[in-house]
Amino acid sequence: MSSTIPAPAPPQDGRAATTVAEVVPQLEETWRHEPGLLGWIRSVDHKRIGTRYFITAFVFFLLAGLEAAVMRAQLARPENTLLGPDAYNQFFTMHGVTMMFMFAVPVMDASKLYLVPLMIGARNVAFPRLNAYGYWVLLIGGLFLYTAFFLNTGPDAGWFNYVPLASSQFSPTRRVDVWAQAITFTEISSLVAAVEIIVTVFKCRAPGMTLDKMPLLVWAMLVQSFMVLFAMPWVATASQFIAMDRLVHTHFFDVALGGDAILWQHLFWFFGHPEVYIIFVPALGFVSSIVSTFTRRQIFGYPAMVLSLIATAVLGFGLWVHHMFATGLPQLGESFFTAASLTIAIPSGVQIFCWIATIWSGRPRITVPMLWVLGFVVTFIIGGFTGVMIASVPFDQQVHDTYFIVAHFHYVLIGGAVFPLFGAMYYWFPKVTGRMLSESLGRWHFWLFFIGVNLTFFPMHQLGFEGMPRRVYTYLPETGWGPLNQLASLGAATIFVSVLLFLINVARSLRAGSPATRDPWGAATLEWAAASPPRPYNFAFIPVVKDLGPLWTFPGQLPAVTGIRTDVRDVLLTTLIGARPDSRHRHPKPTIWPFMAGIATGIFFITLVFTPWGFVIGVPLLTAAFIGWAWPRGQDHREQMSVEAESALGVSPEVPA
Amino acid sequence: MTSTPMELRPVASVADLPTTTFGHRSIAWWGTIGFIIIEGTTLFICAMSYLYLRVTVGQWAPAYAPLPDLGVPAVQVALMVASNVPMVLVDRAARRLDLTAVRSGMVIMSLLVVVMCVLRGFELAALNVRWDENAYATAAWAILVSHGTLLLVEALETLAQTALMFNRRLEQRDISAIADGALYWYFMTSVWVPLAAIAFLTPYVAGP
Repeated sequence: MSSTIPAPAPPQDGRAATTVAEVVPQLEETWRHEPGLLGWIRSVDHKRIGTRYFITAFVFFLLAGLEAAVMRAQLARPENTLLGPDAYNQFFTMHGVTMMFMFAVPVMDASKLYLVPLMIGARNVAFPRLNAYGYWVLLIGGLFLYTAFFLNTGPDAGWFNYVPLASSQFSPTRRVDVWAQAITFTEISSLVAAVEIIVTVFKCRAPGMTLDKMPLLVWAMLVQSFMVLFAMPWVATASQFIAMDRLVHTHFFDVALGGDAILWQHLFWFFGHPEVYIIFVPALGFVSSIVSTFTRRQIFGYPAMVLSLIATAVLGFGLWVHHMFATGLPQLGESFFTAASLTIAIPSGVQIFCWIATIWSGRPRITVPMLWVLGFVVTFIIGGFTGVMIASVPFDQQVHDTYFIVAHFHYVLIGGAVFPLFGAMYYWFPKVTGRMLSESLGRWHFWLFFIGVNLTFFPMHQLGFEGMPRRVYTYLPETGWGPLNQLASLGAATIFVSVLLFLINVARSLRAGSPATRDPWGAATLEWAAASPPRPYNFAFIPVVKDLGPLWTFPGQLPAVTGIRTDVRDVLLTTLIGARPDSRHRHPKPTIWPFMAGIATGIFFITLVFTPWGFVIGVPLLTAAFIGWAWPRGQDHREQMSVEAESALGVSPEVPA
Repeated sequence: MTSTPMELRPVASVADLPTTTFGHRSIAWWGTIGFIIIEGTTLFICAMSYLYLRVTVGQWAPAYAPLPDLGVPAVQVALMVASNVPMVLVDRAARRLDLTAVRSGMVIMSLLVVVMCVLRGFELAALNVRWDENAYATAAWAILVSHGTLLLVEALETLAQTALMFNRRLEQRDISAIADGALYWYFMTSVWVPLAAIAFLTPYVAGP
């Protein structure tokens, strides 16, 4: 530019700005978080909502863990009297319901809602208000479940809620109704999060991030979201069926009038088995991110990894009947589902080998996140082995409903999901909070947890062989099960101490942890290009991606696109496959309506626990909330009109260089 | 405390991209697809539960309950299939941003969807059996009521969108939303054809 001609003043909307310094002040103003409690409630920032989801889910993890600790105290010696049979039924049901519905699924939702937009270079998720709504629904559902539990009305028919035990004949109180409606909340929230992530990944990726340049974690979250979409409706529908059986005397599961109890098991497990993978697949994404960073290698066999994720998801829908081997199925059916159950070990094996190859060919740094990954490999493989064992019908018939099964699925779920999750917490904590966690406390946490888990669950294999059934509140001294149970309870105490150390680590770090740099681990993916913690708009300009590791390819300076408005919440949409810039889209400002819609949903389903009139009350309330949500008004309308005025319908231009 | 973000180097501008898009270019269209998958799965479960119970119970209508009437259900199916013609026209008008055609079209769609809701009430009566009489009745009601919930959502949405078309604060994206609503309409009306066949015709077929 000639020095004699003065530079033109940058336009008000920021589209012409080409330096970070020009756009940041206006971006800070446009995307700023509103102050106060109301501002907190109205927020639609995926990072704030993701963090909320995470904290909420983690509190439920602690509650469910405490329930497990009480159960282990009860079982530590024969004929113990800490919990009676009625309380014990509620405790083991609440433990399962909380861990599966209030912790495991929401915590994975939290992770994807926080991380995916950052990893694909977006400013927010595709539907920010829907995202906020999903959180409020989950929170209300969790509060409802625990209020009922504290009022001695906690669900007590198992997390799978089998009929006929769960029918009004054998469970006449409201406990099962609480189960049926409480899980509806978490289903809505995870379905919403799934749609959210699918559309975000499809349409909001940074220019150049074609499908084969997406981080494996993003692939994992995409695949998991599709699984949620096809799996969650089964339990949602089944729980409404049982609620109707109990509330308005339908006969879905009432054998006396033509219903069928096994139908419940089919409906439940068609959800219940994919559920395991809904929890496990995101964890595979965590592992890939951590392994890649700490070996400073792209994961070996990227196409094989992606195809394995997809194969796991598809096969995961073909296994549900192996939960029902003891119901007297036709032999052909049993053989088919045995084969299918064995097959799913293949994609899991492929991924394990790819990680081992990556670690082998790199120079791994054994940091705390990496320790958790190694712990995952060991623990999950033990769970996988017993899984292959019980896929065999004759073996399964022997150990069905014994502690062998309890041991198996705790190895799979803790090994497959909780270990990677703790690794992920150590890995992304600096990004989320701007502080590092203590490595030495982290190592104590890891080793105590690893020892505790094995001490708790390994003896259960033997208890199962000795015939100890699940879900019994006590046992006689003559059974000889006392010593191994005592060992398991000692393990539970070890886990308790290790989690306490983690909480201390987090508290200390938040108060006085060493500040985190933007990219403390030297990672390759886009979230590490943002500040720690990221600003509300994530990136000043939208980065352009050319390969799987943008931060390794361009260590100093990322290429980026300009031309996105800074005076309104403007975002870039790209094409599904090629990730070419396609259109611009204005995001909504903070709003109270998702919260109101959440409250309306809460009133709807909680009233349905007591009366069918819940439908009559709930539908108008929800309608009102959604009309309030969608109706154009004031400032919002003016902004939208200004965006629409500047460019009429058009075709997308060619890819920028 | 915040660390400094990474430096960014502009390589291209996207300032001139369009801000209103239709179909697969719009995120609302993909959102609609997501909800169609969820609701389609729900309806599939209802249909599968119906057929499962029919096989396991060993006796089904007519041994079990009077056969359903076919008159009203036939009218409903015909109306739903036929309603796709005006909906396609509204869809196209929306993509042209032809507000006059969209407005009149949406008024017609509003009337149609209200008629469909009323017919659903008569369809329930045409089953000739109450939901709490036996599992056959329960399964048939489940199909009609589940799809009825979608119909109700569609009715509320159509009425609200029609009202919005006459609002002075009309935005282009509201017209794009009409096209997304059309997608949902095609789904809601077409899925009823197999469901109606299961609920009203299969009772006439003998055997389990």
